[in-house]
Amino acid sequence: MKCSKCGSPKVIYKQEQSGQILCKECFIESIESKVIKTVRKEKLLDRGDKVLVALSGGKDSVTTLEILNSFREMNVIDLCAVTVDEGIANYRQDGVDIAKRHAERRGIEHRVVSLKEDYGITLDEIMQRPKHRGSCTYCGVFRRTIINKAAREMGATKIATGHNLDDEVQAIMMNYLEGNTNNLTKLGAKTESDAEEFTVKIKPLREIPEREIGIYVVAKELEVHFDSCPYAMQSFRGEVSELINQLNEKHPTIKYSTLRGYEKIKAAIKDEMQNDYAHGRCSRCGEPSSNELCKACSFLEELGV
Amino acid sequence: MTFTLKYKDLNEKRELPNEDYTIKDLLDELELSAQTVVSKQNGELVIEDTVIQEDDEIQLVQIIYGG
Repeated sequence: MKCSKCGSPKVIYKQEQSGQILCKECFIESIESKVIKTVRKEKLLDRGDKVLVALSGGKDSVTTLEILNSFREMNVIDLCAVTVDEGIANYRQDGVDIAKRHAERRGIEHRVVSLKEDYGITLDEIMQRPKHRGSCTYCGVFRRTIINKAAREMGATKIATGHNLDDEVQAIMMNYLEGNTNNLTKLGAKTESDAEEFTVKIKPLREIPEREIGIYVVAKELEVHFDSCPYAMQSFRGEVSELINQLNEKHPTIKYSTLRGYEKIKAAIKDEMQNDYAHGRCSRCGEPSSNELCKACSFLEELGV
Repeated sequence: MTFTLKYKDLNEKRELPNEDYTIKDLLDELELSAQTVVSKQNGELVIEDTVIQEDDEIQLVQIIYGG
């Protein structure tokens, strides 16, 4: 068996969706050039941008930092990073330490922010409450708010997240299955808001399958936090992910076709379905909000924090 | 005829059942999905069709956990 690109016999990956077989060097090159292609095609970066990477220390965010750093080395953009400590015992600290080491290795401005410091409560404490909405609901909202605040404070013009192809396809299917047409209109490689306090978000890894990112970090010998969030399997996302992966075994192009199909109908559903939000302020924290309280503060009120 | 298997906390010598025993066969035996682990043979990344040789060190790295 030989590499489809260079003929080397030392192959490491058989790409089922394309039939290509790749050696280590060609595999690494194929991932990096595909991400760069997404960045260019979707116009994710502008010269002079300061991009904040949401850096958990996991494979996706470390890969995002690694590849975006090539734009930094060409003086196209500047980079900084933030790590959110949600307060999950025996899980988060390893990721925080790894994130710190990557930022230091690359000489990148880095901050660690925590739910405890910002909101006075950890995710573990929330999950001990008798009535709660499920870990991912709180984690997603609080993390988004904290990262957006950090981006403003650090002067970032874009926020880059490590969302991969699997994440995007799960989000499309979850919103569809839940009938959440408003959220369905908001997915994409780049999301902008009318409120200028919300920094533009970009997803450079959106077209890379999760498995390929895992192989990339092992091939490049990047230190990453390989572990499972203890709350992951309680989520609807976990169930949807399992279903999609089952289908993918017999239909290896299904993730790409789901993404492409969504791209084709996105403009139409955006015109028809997107809510027109009134631009107000949260009465508790002052962040932009369409209601009296923003989502994060309404959760905090519910929790009595 | 044996090889060494390293996976998480596991580090053990195993018998090679036959001459054509591949990493894919090993993954099936361990009930692991090739979608969630990558394999190294003597420190080098390899595909699952690779035949395991006597005295090989096979390391399996779980790359997908969810969450």
